[in-house]
Amino acid sequence: MAALPRRIIKETQRLMQEPVPGISAVPSENNARYFHVIVTGPEDSPFEGGLFKLELFLPEDYPMSAPKVRFITKIYHPNIDRLGRICLDILKDKWSPALQIRTVLLSIQALLSAPNPDDPLANDVAELWKVNESEAIRNAKEWTRRYAMDN
Amino acid sequence: MEQFESLLTCCVCLDRFRNPKLLPCQHSYCMEPCMDGLVDYVRRQVKCPECRAEHRIPYQGVQGFPTNVTLQRFLELHAQIAGELPDPTAGQVMERCNVCSEKAYCAPCAHCDKKVCEDCKSAHMEVLRREIARINNQIRRGVNRLQDILAVVERNTANLQTNCGAVAGEIDEIRKRLAKALKDRTDFLRTEVDRYLATELRNLTHLKDNLELELSNIQSNCDLADKYMNDDVEWEDTELVDTKEIFLKTVEFLRNFDYEAGDYNRRVRFIMTHDPNQLVMHVASYGELNITNPNAYSAGLQQSQGLTRSKSDHRLATQFRQQEEAKGYMENDEPILGGRKFGERRPPPPEKHTRDYGATDDYSGYESEHRPSRRFRSRFVRSHQQDNDSDTEQSARVVKSEHKEKEKEKVADTEDATRGPLSGIFRLSDCPRVIQRILDVDSGKKKEKKEPPPPPKPVQPAPQPQRRQPPVRQQSEDDEITRLKRQNKAREASSEGESDEESVGSLQRNQRKSSVQTQKPTATRRPSASDTSSTHRPSARATSTESSASTESSGSAVKHTGAILSIAELKAKYSIDGPSPKPISRILSAGNERSAPVTTNGTASGAQRVQSRFVGSQRPTPAPAPAEPAHEDSDTSSEEETDSSEESEEEPATQRKPESQAMARSDIGPLLARSTNARNDAHDNKNKDTPAQTRYRTRQSSQTEEEPSPRYGATSSSYSSRYGSKPKDEELTSSLDDESKYPTARSRYLALKERRNRLARSKSSHTGFGAGDDDDQDEPVSPTTASPSAYLAARYGSGTGGSELSRSRSSHALKSRESSPERPVTGEKDGAALSSWARYLKNKYGSRGKDRDTSGSSSSSSRRLSLGLPLRSANELASSDDDSKNAAGSPISPTAATAAVAGFAAAGSSPRSQYLQKRRLQFSVGSRGSEPGCFTWPRGIAVGPENIMVVADSSNHRVQVFDSNGIFIKEFGQYGSGEGEFDCLAGVAVNRIGQYIIADRYNHRIQVFDPAGRFLRSFGSQGTGDGKFNYPWGITTDALGFIYVCDKENHRVQVFQSDGTFVGKFGSFGSKLGQLEHPHYIAVSSTNRVLVSDSNNHRIQVFDVNGRVLSSFGEEGSEDGQFKFPRGVAVDDQGYIVVADSGNNRIQIFHPDGTFLRAFGSWGCGDGEFKGLEGIAVMSGGNIIVCDRENHRVQVF
Repeated sequence: MAALPRRIIKETQRLMQEPVPGISAVPSENNARYFHVIVTGPEDSPFEGGLFKLELFLPEDYPMSAPKVRFITKIYHPNIDRLGRICLDILKDKWSPALQIRTVLLSIQALLSAPNPDDPLANDVAELWKVNESEAIRNAKEWTRRYAMDN
Repeated sequence: MEQFESLLTCCVCLDRFRNPKLLPCQHSYCMEPCMDGLVDYVRRQVKCPECRAEHRIPYQGVQGFPTNVTLQRFLELHAQIAGELPDPTAGQVMERCNVCSEKAYCAPCAHCDKKVCEDCKSAHMEVLRREIARINNQIRRGVNRLQDILAVVERNTANLQTNCGAVAGEIDEIRKRLAKALKDRTDFLRTEVDRYLATELRNLTHLKDNLELELSNIQSNCDLADKYMNDDVEWEDTELVDTKEIFLKTVEFLRNFDYEAGDYNRRVRFIMTHDPNQLVMHVASYGELNITNPNAYSAGLQQSQGLTRSKSDHRLATQFRQQEEAKGYMENDEPILGGRKFGERRPPPPEKHTRDYGATDDYSGYESEHRPSRRFRSRFVRSHQQDNDSDTEQSARVVKSEHKEKEKEKVADTEDATRGPLSGIFRLSDCPRVIQRILDVDSGKKKEKKEPPPPPKPVQPAPQPQRRQPPVRQQSEDDEITRLKRQNKAREASSEGESDEESVGSLQRNQRKSSVQTQKPTATRRPSASDTSSTHRPSARATSTESSASTESSGSAVKHTGAILSIAELKAKYSIDGPSPKPISRILSAGNERSAPVTTNGTASGAQRVQSRFVGSQRPTPAPAPAEPAHEDSDTSSEEETDSSEESEEEPATQRKPESQAMARSDIGPLLARSTNARNDAHDNKNKDTPAQTRYRTRQSSQTEEEPSPRYGATSSSYSSRYGSKPKDEELTSSLDDESKYPTARSRYLALKERRNRLARSKSSHTGFGAGDDDDQDEPVSPTTASPSAYLAARYGSGTGGSELSRSRSSHALKSRESSPERPVTGEKDGAALSSWARYLKNKYGSRGKDRDTSGSSSSSSRRLSLGLPLRSANELASSDDDSKNAAGSPISPTAATAAVAGFAAAGSSPRSQYLQKRRLQFSVGSRGSEPGCFTWPRGIAVGPENIMVVADSSNHRVQVFDSNGIFIKEFGQYGSGEGEFDCLAGVAVNRIGQYIIADRYNHRIQVFDPAGRFLRSFGSQGTGDGKFNYPWGITTDALGFIYVCDKENHRVQVFQSDGTFVGKFGSFGSKLGQLEHPHYIAVSSTNRVLVSDSNNHRIQVFDVNGRVLSSFGEEGSEDGQFKFPRGVAVDDQGYIVVADSGNNRIQIFHPDGTFLRAFGSWGCGDGEFKGLEGIAVMSGGNIIVCDRENHRVQVF
């Protein structure tokens, strides 16, 4: 494997030295491009109190292309599908090299507080979110309790 | 401050801005690699990462964006304030790293000869450090041998002194004795003379007195008579009578008295018993000093040889290199590190010249000629074309060549002082660079501030770094891995030392000088080293170092050109000498070898003596050549006796041969009969293909011509003499062979017998003969059929060809079996089939085979073939013809070759012809790595049931199993010393019931696993006793399940029952017959002959199962049938022996009797090339599989 670019090293160092509140990202021992991420559910959202595990992988041409991020913990969210894939513009076409791991994770955290059912990925969830938001939020809370709280 | 910091940070690379470019949206980014990476090449746009504004890229590219000068000023200001060091990469251009192909500031890496980025370089340096550490360990382990030798030398010194003292005393003693004897004799003689003189004198005196008395008496009588005997006196008658009587008596006395002159004429004569001249000569040379080579002395030599072969894997190369080097010293005075100074960059290769000239001559007519070389110009050369401006380049070169000689001297000056006279290794701590390094470390911390940071090698106008190119490596057919590694080692230090050597400058000069003076003052230097710089430097030592340093800084480029030429010379030398390593010695020895082989020793030049210290006198004791066969007869077993008698008799007394064979048949057991059969086969073959045979003989004879060459010292090996004695007879009779053999009764007998053999064999191990044509006709027509062979062919692509197909004949055999009975049904049909067959043969073998053109023979042969009988005549003809083709190395078109291979393999000819075709790689398995299917230094290899390949993946500490097509099946084992764990395992074997038996080398034990790879048991531990091991290496089992282990460092072979019970051992350290030195691999033939690769004796020894030596073949060398550190050895079911000739990087195949059959392979990493062969094995189909250690793969032939 090629050596790690300085930027990744720097970012990793900074993530360790100045962690973002509510977010922890730890590189894997055997692959420095692979991060184990834990995001806390933001306050005042149906995901409050949950601890969501994510995986984040920095592709070869990072930062010129976006990191690959996926929820490992199951989550009831209109922009996150059953496999944990995230529909977030900055992870796709709106990626910019000026963004960093921390900003990406912050964006994801923000996405949790502000679901966007108009740009859905999990169609049934988005549908429910649009039709019956309260039930959707209840579902989300339920899932959070069930999958993101037990340990 | 932090915000200020962040303002100076590029948000893409998160680093300080480098060459910030300002986008129209007012955001700035480093030009490289950030802005570069942002470019959307399709739309020629840059999208600002911060505001996502899109900007068209200027015509000149991102460079065309304005530089953010303000930001740059701020950067400078910040750097000033913060006291930061200037950016070391300033002014450099980013390139693609040649290893990770990341864009970065690249610098040449001495390890891989590429320009690589910082990270890769540090990784490489780490690799080098690890390698150094490893090699250092090996050296540490090996250095005690040097100490031992030192002790031996000291002991020898003492011995020498006592010996010489004793001899001097003896001489004195003899002198005294001689003197005493001389004196005694002299005295005796003189007294004798004196005594004689005295007696004689006395006698004479007495006589004289008497005579005087007589005379006076008589005179007085006469007077008296005259006076008185007359009438005057009255005399009485009686008186007168008496007087008369007296006078008568007197007369009588006078008459009778006769002085016997003779009596006193006896002269004394001094007679020497020996011729005085001779005696003087005898005395003058009454003794001489006979300086013999007593055992103790030669033992010392042997040990020194042992040293050159360190225990490491690299010893082959080391030794090889030393030989080369010794030659180098002789001819070129080529020093270690290829003439470079320690830590210097490798000089640019000579290819560069053509390249440059090509560049200058772009417009001229030479262009076309130079185009190919110019094409080699790599990217980075082009990118520095300004620097490489042809004019300056050339003028610079002129200067360089002027300085060449001087530079060379200087190179020698700096490091030669402590150069080891034997190996050319100098003391690292004497190299100015190393001194500098160590000093830096010692006085490190405080200086660190002052010292400019070690910048990666700056791209200077000096062409030195750019000119470094791989070709140096490419030229290295003679190189070997260690050499590279050693160079690497040195170069690693250099890459460390490189950077600040120049920049350290005068600041540290003083310091260095003082430190240098504290170094042990070494031998006298030539004061002329540098007259410019030495004037104000008092110490000679400092002078030289200083001069080298100044050379370094002022004229490094100059030096490199000097070195170029030397390398070029070296190359030229190698290109001449390389292929045939010892033409000189051959020339030297050619003249006088016949007359007096021993005296050639005298003609050896000094340099060769150096060699001979390494090489020579490890030969077995000299044995007179003619006596050899007898000698062999006497001490080999009965089986071998028949063999040797056959051999010695075969040519002169052809008729007796059947007798001896019959005898062999009748007298000995079935086992021996079997082996005799095998040998007979080989023998018959030998007789048949006389063309090849004669060539072989001539080769042998040429070999013998070399034999007494000074390289090998005075003694000639018994083996060589054995061969040496033979060819003469054989050559005489060889011409007879081909014509006169077959008409004789014997030949008929042989033919019969052979046919019988063949029949038997074809039943057992070969499938029908019809398979061949079926196969081959299949091949061209439909390579894509679903048959396994086609599958194989498809799978392994171009490299496989027809041999592959033919090997899969088991599947085709069925088909052919079905078809063959149909053929002889009717004569007509038969004839038709025959003609097609004949046509086929003709196609296949081209213009050859005039016999086959005549329809009669072809039809008969083909009839026999269709009947399932061996196609003898045709086969033989073909095989012999193919022999000649192969041996002559004539360029056969590949298709013809493969067709021939297929034909033979399928037609069931002897495996010998199969082996003769071996040269093309069928496929190879693995590459470096630790994944399944990858290897790290594979060593032992074995073939298991259903031709599975079992490989000892040594440094991955595991066993890997592949099927016969090289497809990974399973692996087991990991690092450790527990059950089922390995530590650098070496040998593997699979017994009849599929159990894996592993020589767990560094754990000094043998482990046994069941066919599923589960641990069963282990036995053995480190030691020298029975059942203990010291680095067990090769391992094998025989038909009865006995386990044979090469106990390498104990120089013996141990035999165990399959449950690990110790059964016996044989071999001890030494080079005599039956002794072993570092036996590596072992194989047992189906005739229960145990073959051991006696690596450091460069031979294969053959034992019986009880450990008695049967024979031995091979000696050191690179001719056919010679070895350099043979390792893997394998034997097929016919008894043919395959040897991995590790030091020569080739595989050699031998007849069951040890005569050479075929060799192939060379150094390299391509197909069919090897770097450090290890284990070898033969599949039941005749495929040879071999572990190519340094290439981390298994190759199948």
